[in-house]
Amino acid sequence: MIELGNNIINGLAVVIFLTTFIIVAHTRLYPWVSTYAIQSLALGLLATAVAYFTDSFHIYIVAALAIIIKSVIIPRFLRYTMDRIRVDKEVEMLVNVPASLLISGGLAILSYYITEPIIVQGNVITKNCLAISIAVVLIGFFIMITRRKAITQIMGLMVMENGLFLAAIATSYGMPLIVEIGIFFDILVGVLIMGVFAFQINRTFETVDTGILRRLRD
Amino acid sequence: MIIEALLAIPMIAAILVYLIKHRRAIELISTMGMAMVLAACAYLAWHVFSRGPVTGSFWYLDGLGAYVLLIIAFIGTAATIYSIGYLGREYEHHEIDLGRIRYYYLFFHVFIFTMLLVCVSSNLGIMWIAIEATTLASAFLVGFYNKDTSVEAAWKYIIICSVGITLALLGTILIYASSVNSLGESPDALSWPTLTEHAKNLDPTLLRIAFILVIIGYGTKVGFAPMHTWLPDAHSEAPTPISGLLSGVLLNVAMYGILRYHIILTDAIGPGYSGSLLILFGLLSLAAAAVFILLQKDYKRLLAYSSIEHMGIIAIGFGIGGPFGIFGALLHILNHAITKSLMFFGAGNILLKFKTKSINDVKGIATLMPLTAAFFMGGGLAITGSPPFGIFISELLILIAGFAEGNYPISIIYLLFLVIIFAGFMYHISRMAFGEPPADATKEEPNYIGLSVMAVLLMVALALGLYIPHMLSGILANIVKIFGGS
Repeated sequence: MIELGNNIINGLAVVIFLTTFIIVAHTRLYPWVSTYAIQSLALGLLATAVAYFTDSFHIYIVAALAIIIKSVIIPRFLRYTMDRIRVDKEVEMLVNVPASLLISGGLAILSYYITEPIIVQGNVITKNCLAISIAVVLIGFFIMITRRKAITQIMGLMVMENGLFLAAIATSYGMPLIVEIGIFFDILVGVLIMGVFAFQINRTFETVDTGILRRLRD
Repeated sequence: MIIEALLAIPMIAAILVYLIKHRRAIELISTMGMAMVLAACAYLAWHVFSRGPVTGSFWYLDGLGAYVLLIIAFIGTAATIYSIGYLGREYEHHEIDLGRIRYYYLFFHVFIFTMLLVCVSSNLGIMWIAIEATTLASAFLVGFYNKDTSVEAAWKYIIICSVGITLALLGTILIYASSVNSLGESPDALSWPTLTEHAKNLDPTLLRIAFILVIIGYGTKVGFAPMHTWLPDAHSEAPTPISGLLSGVLLNVAMYGILRYHIILTDAIGPGYSGSLLILFGLLSLAAAAVFILLQKDYKRLLAYSSIEHMGIIAIGFGIGGPFGIFGALLHILNHAITKSLMFFGAGNILLKFKTKSINDVKGIATLMPLTAAFFMGGGLAITGSPPFGIFISELLILIAGFAEGNYPISIIYLLFLVIIFAGFMYHISRMAFGEPPADATKEEPNYIGLSVMAVLLMVALALGLYIPHMLSGILANIVKIFGGS
């Protein structure tokens, strides 16, 4: 039973890991959002599996919230924002795809290295996910730095948040329910507000390229 | 019960100011709301300092929380009264309409609510949610004017702070993991009173990693260099009363978040580890502030960099520790909040009059606006640490602490940066105060309501430099005990 649980959870973690790399490799915006939705779905299913195998009711609620908010509402809102500002469909990169993938691979190895002391002493069935979750956080951060559009920066932040969600599940089966709900609320409101600002950037600069944001400096 | 009431007041005020479509009524409700918040905070503080911590299912308010709460309420009240004059002038000059005023006060009160929530929550997770919510609520205030520069500032603010705070969430998750490992899964596993009590049982490796993540994450919001890049932009583009609030209050609220973890680490593995990280970021911030203050061309950015400087000083005070260091840092939080909001309010009057933020274009305020100039110069002397103002005392206490604890190199570098910043800052603001005013300018004070607020703040800053009331020193000594100091 535990063996099966481990396999399912590790399998879903691999899906999350791979989708992160696919996001790094995407050069078009709309498929990027779909991949993010798939990643979030895998995350929600992983949480469901954890809930089933540890028999804890509150994780079911968290899993349901993850699926609804991260794989339905946020992707829909991002598509809506992109339609409204008629963003052109290319992802603008400061680092090209092969180099980005190479760096992401390096970040993944780094995260295995830094999480090793934590994994050794853990005793939860999800402990293997921790390295993957840190890798997802780091790669999300890398996406934010190297992709220039406002929308892609929001997406990078969302990938980071997915990594954190996985980290919370991996280390301690998720945070207390009230905290998880609050975090979802913050993420949702945060994305809505960032969407509004992306729209304003588009209106005031007639582009969503954040490279244009260079007026304020010393 | 009183905590729930305290949290309800700004939310009710937020709803009311948005529903009512009459400017005077909005201003009245806003001021009344903040006055009630101040009264509730004063009551809570009295309760905490005379009878011990106030607790509830999600709440735990101890001396440190109550102290920050009082500062939020006091500066918040000052800012709301100042806003009446500031926005009123812009309204009369048709720069903003009534809709914008309602929008402003709506987010103002939501912002206050989120900051109060940070200080009263007992759960580190809820504290994280509240700190993230402060960013979300204030982002709209930073982007209030909808110009290209303010949209840019708001975007940088929300993105940089969200990323930073994501790291702090990772730190919170690690703390939770180490607490679940040793205390078992319970609703209390993230509450800081429980964590502080059982600090010795927590895993030190996880605590160390968690603290690094937290100090970088919340440190982004405090404005520690090198994560400070959002701060000058946000402070210079926000409406000036909001700049005062961001600088005087929000940065302290984020610092409060770091201090909670610092206290847990002090109880678990001693103050050395987290203390030296605080000193490191403090010195980096002082260095960055010194360079950018010398080269500054924009007076609101000048004040923003001065905030980075003072957050650095506070971090150094807590990092050095010992009774003097912590006492000095606590006192510095209060002094800085009062003096910096005074300075921003003065800058707001200058901005209303001159319509430019460039230091070179502002000349002769001493002739054109003598009262604003007097308060602004007084504030400038105070903020750079000249006697007889409060900041002089707290900076001196931190210096004494540095020597008393034997940290000679740190104390000397600290003193050196303070001298550089004093020279740079005074050079810039004296150029603004004196000199020949523009030929077409008329003598006029744009914001009399604001001036009365500034007068009160300057008096308090001066009073705190002349003597520290017995009550205040009692309160601070009480809080020093929370840090595990002698």
